[in-house]
Amino acid sequence: MTALAVEKLSVRYGAVEAVRELSLEVKPGRIVGLIGPNGAGKSSTLHAIMGAAPITGGDVRLDGRSLVGRRPEDIARRGVALVPEGRRIFGELTVDENLRLGLAARRTRANGNGLARAYELFPVLRDFRSRHAGALSGGQQQQLAIARALAAEPGVLLLDEPSLGLAPKIVDVVFEALMQIRDSGLAVLLVEQRAQRTVALADESHVLANGQLRITLGPKDAGDTDRLVSAYLA
Amino acid sequence: MNQLRRLPELLGPALLILATAWLGLEVSSYLEAYFLDTLVKVAIVVALYLFIGNSGVLSFGQISFVALGAWTAGLLTMPESQKRLEMPGLWHFLLTTNVGNAASLALAAVVGGIAALVVGLPLMRLSGLAAGIATFSVLEITNNVLTFDGKIGPGVNNFSSVPATTGIWQAAVACLICIAVAYVYQRTRFGRMLRATREDPAAAAAAGISINRQRLLAFTLSGALAGFAGGLYVHLQPLASGGLYLDLTFITLAMLVVGGSGSLLGAVVGALALNGIFSFFSAATNTVVVFGWHLKVPSGTAEIVLGVLMAVVLILRPSGITGGRELFLPRRRRPVADLEKARATT
Amino acid sequence: MTLAFLNLTWPTFADGLALGGIYALMAVGIGLVFGVLRLVNFAYGQLLMAGAYALAYGATWNLPTWESILLCFGVVLVLSLLMEVLVFRPLRLHSPATMLVATFAVAFLLQNIALLKFGALPRSAGSLALLNAPWDIFGAEIRKIAVVSVATAAGCLVILQMLLKLTPLGLHMRAASMDFRTARLLGVRANRVITGAVILSGLLAAVSAVMLSVQDINVTSTFGLQDTIVVLAGVVLGGLNRLIPATLGGFAIGFATGILGGVLPSNQVQYLQSFVFAAVIVVLLVRPNGLFTRAAGAVERV
Repeated sequence: MTALAVEKLSVRYGAVEAVRELSLEVKPGRIVGLIGPNGAGKSSTLHAIMGAAPITGGDVRLDGRSLVGRRPEDIARRGVALVPEGRRIFGELTVDENLRLGLAARRTRANGNGLARAYELFPVLRDFRSRHAGALSGGQQQQLAIARALAAEPGVLLLDEPSLGLAPKIVDVVFEALMQIRDSGLAVLLVEQRAQRTVALADESHVLANGQLRITLGPKDAGDTDRLVSAYLA
Repeated sequence: MNQLRRLPELLGPALLILATAWLGLEVSSYLEAYFLDTLVKVAIVVALYLFIGNSGVLSFGQISFVALGAWTAGLLTMPESQKRLEMPGLWHFLLTTNVGNAASLALAAVVGGIAALVVGLPLMRLSGLAAGIATFSVLEITNNVLTFDGKIGPGVNNFSSVPATTGIWQAAVACLICIAVAYVYQRTRFGRMLRATREDPAAAAAAGISINRQRLLAFTLSGALAGFAGGLYVHLQPLASGGLYLDLTFITLAMLVVGGSGSLLGAVVGALALNGIFSFFSAATNTVVVFGWHLKVPSGTAEIVLGVLMAVVLILRPSGITGGRELFLPRRRRPVADLEKARATT
Repeated sequence: MTLAFLNLTWPTFADGLALGGIYALMAVGIGLVFGVLRLVNFAYGQLLMAGAYALAYGATWNLPTWESILLCFGVVLVLSLLMEVLVFRPLRLHSPATMLVATFAVAFLLQNIALLKFGALPRSAGSLALLNAPWDIFGAEIRKIAVVSVATAAGCLVILQMLLKLTPLGLHMRAASMDFRTARLLGVRANRVITGAVILSGLLAAVSAVMLSVQDINVTSTFGLQDTIVVLAGVVLGGLNRLIPATLGGFAIGFATGILGGVLPSNQVQYLQSFVFAAVIVVLLVRPNGLFTRAAGAVERV
């Protein structure tokens, strides 16, 4: 069954149409990549799913139920977690407080081992748990942002350019973690600028330009640089 | 062509003032006082507008300059014998100097302008809440000093025996002067530069506009108009320092915001509308007759109606009655307006 | 026994501390709401005014003291929530300047309703007036209310700090005041956080009302108005963006006001207000982002 389905989604900021009739779906245990040049509408799509961007048409469904018109906090509580662009961790709170903040979205008090799982996935965070998050390195902050999103044990994970500004070695760590997350059964929607790596990692990758879906690529296409380039230029 | 389209920006407010003055002459002398009061309030609100509207910086301090203007004009026109009687502690210079009505108003404007310049010189580099609190502090200090210092005025007592020279025509002409000053200012290079800093301070600064200097100019002009209006006010009724403090600050700011702080028209419309309503309910404390209905309300109702009205307008129409727009001769189509509307919805 | 410099005596010092403590509580109350709503609540003083009238009526009706205090808490809380629902919530997405002017309107409105309803003559909230009697502490005559105020303020601040640090709601409130948008994306419920902040702020207003009504038992429609203006100045001086700097700012201005009121010669004490606000202007010019904040904080737009 489908965890997250986006159907003919349109997003408009004033006169600017950021996303036009975009359709995609993400199944549990799969990573779907969303790539494309700057301003293609990738982030807008994620924000629209989270209820934080004005949807002018189409539908967003989680397990068949529409999310359109709900508040961001309600969507988060239904099990859709976002790792926002630029990480957006709370620098003045401690690492542990940042993670406990992630618990805000948990659906019942029962699932409390999300914290433990988050620490398991990124052991480095445990060493710094009582430190201010602002004192962490960029890579550690990104791990914290992902761990925070996972704390409430969501069903769907949305990531907005998690590799932005990170050293290649750290990108490896992050992408490695994404595979583990996929294998634990989450549906992952990954927005990225690093096209080649994303296509290689994701089960399928959609190329977006001017708010529209241009082409869908599979992992096999990762080596085919020509095809990638032409997808961007199409 | 463009100049012609701009004409209503000045004529609209001016005609409103003339209409108010004419109405004020037609009504009974008992009601005339309300029209006089309204015209003085318009002058104060236009003074507020000149700075707040054009700069986008909130100032709670302009009523200080109204008070200083009132003190200047009041002291300089009160007969010396009365001053000796009522303000024995007054400085000798103030005690013995007397000027005429027009000169006192001019000097009130000068004092208001100089005070604003002196205050603005250090304060204009502040913005945001810091500017709000700093200007509020100016109001507090001015009020405190004027309330207790018997050397420069009546202290805790009020100004009595100031010649009541502000009649309908004087008030109307003074209003027109204020409106003309505000209009000319906003049409000059300086006014446009200050408005640019309001819209986008970073871009304006990048274009070489000195934000401080432009704000200071507007603050000083605004202070001069406020002092001028204060002069009118003291020639109208016996003022005390308590009457030129928080309540007047609130009421005049309310008028500006409700009218639409972005335009001269908004300032005038807001002052006329709110003071009209305020006057109506003030008059109704002694029963007014509306279409055969006798209406009598307890005193204090006017303030409450004003407070509710202001909160409602802010909630429903935060950019004010006029939406911060001036009066224009309509063009056939305004595609730009559509774009603005579209932008406003995001 | 006196402090050697100026003519500062221990009782004056204690009164300064007490006023500082009360102003610190008010500063936290204003700061909490600013944190989550970016709204400077000018009408905070009218909450104190309403609470003080409740105490005065309690005294008139011969209620036991604790019932009067309970009434005060009830009135202030209900009024806070009404303000939030009727004014703050509809204005949430407007510019800070609009919101500030709107709270100005609310303040003016409430003040005039009180004037209409309760008249211009002061009413006495005297049930706690015996706290003005002095205690003999190491030879210095310290008013009881000074001790009670300092202790209450300290207690409230400690409890509040624990609430903010140790409970999920506290964590959510802190996060919301740093970055509301991200907090909501993480599932922090906006309305609950705002209501929580408004309730806490109201509780602090009620406590402040009780303390101030002992210092000034004559309740009029302008009760708490001047105090609120001074506290607002203190809060901005300290740094409005963070709770602790704001609290320190409130304390500092209260302490300074209390001390100045005690040591100024009698022919100058009427200019106390001018001294305080002149100091405010000077500090703002030197540290426009706040006295107790590190470097440049986030800038609010007004």
